[in-house]
Amino acid sequence: MKAIIILDQTQAGLGGKERADTPLGGKKLALGSADTTAKALSKVGGEVIGTFYCGTDFYKDNSDLVQEKFTKMADKMNADVVILGPTYDYPEFSLMACELSLAFKKESKIPTIQATAIEKNQELIDKYKADLLIVKMPKKGGTGLSDSIEHLVEGCKVISENGDLTQFKADYCY
Amino acid sequence: MQKKFEQILMPLATKLGNNVVLKSLRDGFLIITPLIIVTSTFLLIGNFPIPGWDSFWTGLLGKNWAEWFSAVSNSVFSFTGILSCMAIGYAYGKNRGLEAIHASVVALISFLILTPTSVSIGKETVGAVETMYVGPNGIFLGIFIAIISVELYRFAVKRNWTIKMPDGVPPAVSQSFDALIPSGLVILFFFLVHILFSISSYDTAYNFIYTLIQAPLKHVGNSLPSVLLYNFLASVLWVFGINGPTITNSVWSPIFFVLTQDNLKAYTNHLEIPHIYTQPFIDIFTTYGGGGSTLSLLIVMFVVCRSKRIRELGKLAILPGIFGINEPIIFGLPVVLNPIIAIPFIVVPVLNTFISGIVFTLGWVPKTTGVLLPWTTPPIISGWLATGSWTGSVLQLFEIILGIMIYYPFVKMLDHQYLDEEAAALEEDLNIDFNEV
Repeated sequence: MKAIIILDQTQAGLGGKERADTPLGGKKLALGSADTTAKALSKVGGEVIGTFYCGTDFYKDNSDLVQEKFTKMADKMNADVVILGPTYDYPEFSLMACELSLAFKKESKIPTIQATAIEKNQELIDKYKADLLIVKMPKKGGTGLSDSIEHLVEGCKVISENGDLTQFKADYCY
Repeated sequence: MQKKFEQILMPLATKLGNNVVLKSLRDGFLIITPLIIVTSTFLLIGNFPIPGWDSFWTGLLGKNWAEWFSAVSNSVFSFTGILSCMAIGYAYGKNRGLEAIHASVVALISFLILTPTSVSIGKETVGAVETMYVGPNGIFLGIFIAIISVELYRFAVKRNWTIKMPDGVPPAVSQSFDALIPSGLVILFFFLVHILFSISSYDTAYNFIYTLIQAPLKHVGNSLPSVLLYNFLASVLWVFGINGPTITNSVWSPIFFVLTQDNLKAYTNHLEIPHIYTQPFIDIFTTYGGGGSTLSLLIVMFVVCRSKRIRELGKLAILPGIFGINEPIIFGLPVVLNPIIAIPFIVVPVLNTFISGIVFTLGWVPKTTGVLLPWTTPPIISGWLATGSWTGSVLQLFEIILGIMIYYPFVKMLDHQYLDEEAAALEEDLNIDFNEV
């Protein structure tokens, strides 16, 4: 299972809020917090073939461009699954993840999965939960991060194998 | 091992983090914290740690100048007991789904019912309230009163023991009548409590709580093992992605708060400072640059590492790190769920706590005055301001360097791992070129 992980500037290890203008980019390795997800993925035979990143302000001002570039590049790299986040309760990153996830649904055949905390994102999750696979996770500093990453990886396995998502969604998603 | 830790710690952390009483104590103290920081500044100006400061300003402004500043600092430091009661009443009321302002006022009145309002001066008795009852020594009493009074109030509200006004009565009037019976119940209860204590050997609720609870808890909390445990748990929880201090403060914050206020009171009154293990001790002499003492980690990343990823992150995160903001590396390095960094991330704060505890006990650095500095105050400056002595800065510098030495081998291990990945990827160019699509 070949996975691409999409992160904002903070999770990619490219700085904090002050670097929200970071343009889109990518590396062919697990960058920043993607390293944790990559380790969990490797336990189920998965690998991270690239990390795409984008500052949240840059995304806000160039959402069409970022959506187009990310979907086309993921297709070109033949990814089996795209993971967005974990986004914690960062509202800007959570919004970016939902919109990108929806763009993948429309423009690409690669399935997506994301992990987002309900705090600060209630409305967003209500809006997108029917269309997207959004795994429950704790807010920044909350309990249960390790479990939610395990669930994220479990979800990756199911979607990459075109498995039935009913039980997974009922157990771990919004 | 990691799984075992998680199995033990997670349920406990969740329970502590979600406990409504502990959460309200935390939230309540946070309401007062800005007031303490602001008034601490006035105290600091009135007692700035520079020789000749007092005589310089006395010559310029007259001998009353310091009193102008202490009037501001005393407005909070002498009333922390009653302020805690109000603030915790507010937070607990809010967390229990009540009108928070009603809950806060009910807690305040209950506190006043139990506060002696006469003072004996020689053979005469005059109507007055001693600040002893409403200051730091009254904090635990304030906590108990806030929780009990709001819980009683809620008991009546939940049973609809209210006077219903007809439609058309303005909401403010209607709400006021809603509060009548619940407030009456609370006042009646504390009226009886007041009588009960006045006929007991304790004389006041203050004496009872202070003697049986506050003093013993202070004694237990004001010890090296207590703060070692505090910082160990806080760091371990961070490694699992949990904001450790939020959980540990649930238990320790009332104790640290009382100990800090004791020191502030003594400092304001130019008495000997009593305690070592205060909030400033924890904030200023155990971690530098945020949880895990990550300023040391950042310096290693910035100066020594060769992996592009680590160096870049070190460069970006060092400035925020000096001011105590470590979010970029907590999630970006990452520290969270990273077994390599976990070891120094736990060891460094614990070791700093141990060393600082010993150094303060030996009197090599004067005890913290209790002045609360903004949490973004950089180390070296904070050590001096918190103790009034340059030796505080030296201790901080020593511990930052020690932290660098402890972090070094672990960060190098991570650096090697990333360097290998980068070298392997170099053959096929690491960057993804989005111009290709």
